[in-house]
Amino acid sequence: MDQILNVLVFGILLGGIYGLVSIGLNLIFGVVRIVNFAQGELVMFGMYGSYYAYTYLGLNPYLAALLVAPLVGLIGMAIQRLVIQPLHNEPNMQIFATFGLLMMFQNIMLAISRGEAVSIGGDAGAAVLALGDMKISVVRLVTFIATTLITVGLHLFLSRTMAGKSIRAVTQDKRSARVMGINVERTFLYTFGLGAGLAGLAGVLLTPIYSITPTVGGNFILAAFAVVVLGGLGSVWGAYIGGLIVGIVEAFAGYYIDPSLKSAIWFVIFLIVLILRPSGLFGQVGAEEVGFREQH
Amino acid sequence: MSAFKSVLKPIVSIALLAGAAMLPHLAVAADPIKIGAINPFSGPLALYGVEVTRGYELAVDQANAAGGILGRKIDIVRGDASTPQQGIATVEQLVAKDKVDLFVGTYTSPVSNAASDAASRYNKLYWETGALAQNLTERGLPNYIRMSPNGGDFALLSVTAVRELVAPALKKNLKDVKVWIEHEDSLYGTSIAQTQKRLLEALGAKVVGVGAHSMRSIDLNDTVLRAKQANPDVLIQTGYVPDGNLLLRTARDQGFKPGAILMVGVGDTPETLQSVGAPSIEGVLVVSYPRTDISDKYGPGAKGFLAAYRAKYKSDPIASQSMTAYVGMQMLFDTIRAAGSLDVAKIRSAAAAMDKPNGTYATGYGLKFDKNFQNVRALPVTAQWQSGKMVTVFPIDASPVGATLKPLTRN
Repeated sequence: MDQILNVLVFGILLGGIYGLVSIGLNLIFGVVRIVNFAQGELVMFGMYGSYYAYTYLGLNPYLAALLVAPLVGLIGMAIQRLVIQPLHNEPNMQIFATFGLLMMFQNIMLAISRGEAVSIGGDAGAAVLALGDMKISVVRLVTFIATTLITVGLHLFLSRTMAGKSIRAVTQDKRSARVMGINVERTFLYTFGLGAGLAGLAGVLLTPIYSITPTVGGNFILAAFAVVVLGGLGSVWGAYIGGLIVGIVEAFAGYYIDPSLKSAIWFVIFLIVLILRPSGLFGQVGAEEVGFREQH
Repeated sequence: MSAFKSVLKPIVSIALLAGAAMLPHLAVAADPIKIGAINPFSGPLALYGVEVTRGYELAVDQANAAGGILGRKIDIVRGDASTPQQGIATVEQLVAKDKVDLFVGTYTSPVSNAASDAASRYNKLYWETGALAQNLTERGLPNYIRMSPNGGDFALLSVTAVRELVAPALKKNLKDVKVWIEHEDSLYGTSIAQTQKRLLEALGAKVVGVGAHSMRSIDLNDTVLRAKQANPDVLIQTGYVPDGNLLLRTARDQGFKPGAILMVGVGDTPETLQSVGAPSIEGVLVVSYPRTDISDKYGPGAKGFLAAYRAKYKSDPIASQSMTAYVGMQMLFDTIRAAGSLDVAKIRSAAAAMDKPNGTYATGYGLKFDKNFQNVRALPVTAQWQSGKMVTVFPIDASPVGATLKPLTRN
C-alpha cells in the first residue's frame, strides 16, 4: 500500500503520453473520419526530426518542435491531398492506403537510418524530481504538462475560433456545413494537417524518453486507438481523460497484478465501455454512426 | 632435330586437344560456389541482418583471395527474410533461380526454423551462425548444423557470471545472493529466463522474482518498482534493444540500484550508452557474443577481423554478432575442405569428425559438435561498461591485457 501514490503518479504521467499520441489521431479519426494507420509513423517522424535537429543543428530537443511539428503537419496535408482525397468515395481503400503509407514511411526511415536505434535520453532525459520516496522523471512531467496545455489550447481553438467552429460543424454534419458555406475539403485538409502536426509534436516531446527506431510508432498506436474510442471520437477532452484512464489502469494492473497482463486488463475495460456506451465516455451519443453514414 | 620435332608435334597436338576437351570441365570447376545468405535485410531487424552478412563477406573475401574453396571462388547471394513465410519463399527462389549450393543464416530463430526446413526439402545444407532457439538443433533436420551458441549457452553463461563475478564482487556467498530475473515475454526471453531460474536455484541462489514484459512496452515503471520492492542483489534482464534501454532508464529514474545489473543478449551497443548515459550504465554487465576487444590468446584473429571490417566498411562493427558470423563462415569452409565436397551427407560426416580446441577462431570458439550438430565449443562472453566503453571481463583469459572488473554498483 505504501507505493499507491507512486503508482498513481506514474500512471498519470503514462496517461499523459497516451493522451498526447491520441490527440492528433482523434482529430483525424473524429473529424476527417479516416482511420489513419500511419499516425504512429507521423509520431516517429517527429521523434527522428527532433533527434536530427538535436544532433546536427544542436537544437534543444523541445525547441525542435517549432521546426518539426509544422513539417510533419505539411506531410499530413500532402497525405490528405494526394492520397486520401482522391479516394474520398472509397472509405475502405482509404484505410488500406494509410496502411500502405505506414509501410512506406517505416521503410524510408529504415533506409535513412540503416535501422540503427538512436536516442538522446542520456543527457536530456536523466533529470528526476524526488519527493521523499517518490521519483518523478522530469521529461515525463514535461510531457504531461504539455499534453494538458495542448488539450486546453485545442479546446479553445475548436470552441472559440471560426476555423475551429467550422471543424466542429463539419464533424457534426458535413452536408449542412457545406450549405452554410464551409469549404469541407479545405477543412479536411487543414484538420488532417493539424492532426499530423500534433503527432509530430508528440514525437518531439517523447524523444528524450524512448529509443527511436523506424517501427517505434507502432508501440504507441494500438493504445492510442483504444484511447480515442474509449474517450469518444472527436472529443478533445475524451482523448485526454481516456489517456489518463488507460495510463492509471495500466499502472495499477502492472504493479499490483502482473505487468504482462496489464494490456489485457485495460482492453477488458475498453470493451465494457464500448458495450455500455459505444460513443465513448465523452463522445456525442450517436456520433459513432456518422463515420459510416453515406457522406457526399 | 627434325625427327624430334616430328615426334613432338603430335604429342603437342594431342596435349592441346586433350586440353581443349577438358576445357568445359575446367569451366564447370571454375563456377563459383553460391551460398544463399538468409537474413532480414528489410524491416526492423535489417541492421542486424546486414551486420551478420558483413561478417560472411569478410570471410569470403579472405577465402577468395587465398584461391577459394575446393578450387572454386565463393559468391554470396543475399536472401531477404524477416518472417518465416518469407524465409520459405526466399529459399525456394534461391534454389530455383539463383541455383545456390547451400545456405547460411540467420539472425532470427523463427526464420531459421522455417528456412532450414525448406532447404532440407532440396537437400541443401543450412549452416547456422546465429539463431538462438535451443530446439532448432533438436529437430534432427539432416541438413542443419549450428556453429554458434544457443539460448541455453546464454542462460548458462549469465548464471556462471553471477557465480564467478557478481557474488565475489558483492562479497557474498552465492546462497545469499538474491536475483530478480526480468525478461521480454516472447519465447526468446521466456525460455532463457526459465533456464536461468532453474540453474540459479540449483546452485542455491535465491530467485526473489521473475518478471515478464512486452518488448514493445512504453512504460516499465511497474516492472522496476516490483523488482525494487523485492530488493535483489542482482537484476538479470533478457530482451531486445528498446525494452532493455527503457528498463535501464526507468531503473535510473526510480533510483533502483541493485548490487549488479546483468543484461543478456543486448545492451552492448553505442546506442544504449547514448540512451542511458555513461554515469548510469557504468559497471553494468552484458552477456553477449565475443567482442573484438578479446585477448589474442583467447581469440586469435579478432584484431585482424576488426581491421578488415574497418578497411572494407569504414566503420566499427555495430553488433558483436558480426564476428561470430565471420567465424561461422570460416568454420563452414574448414568443414567443406575436410569433406572435399558440397554434398550434405559428406559435410555432415566431416562436421561430426571436427575437433578443434577452444581458441582456434577469432571469437575464441573451437569446433566440436554434439549428436544434434550443435557446436559445444562456442561460448558467449561477459563484458562490462567501463568509462563509456565495453570491456570483456569474463572468462578472465578473454579480457584484454590490463583489463579488470570494475565495481558493479552504480552511483
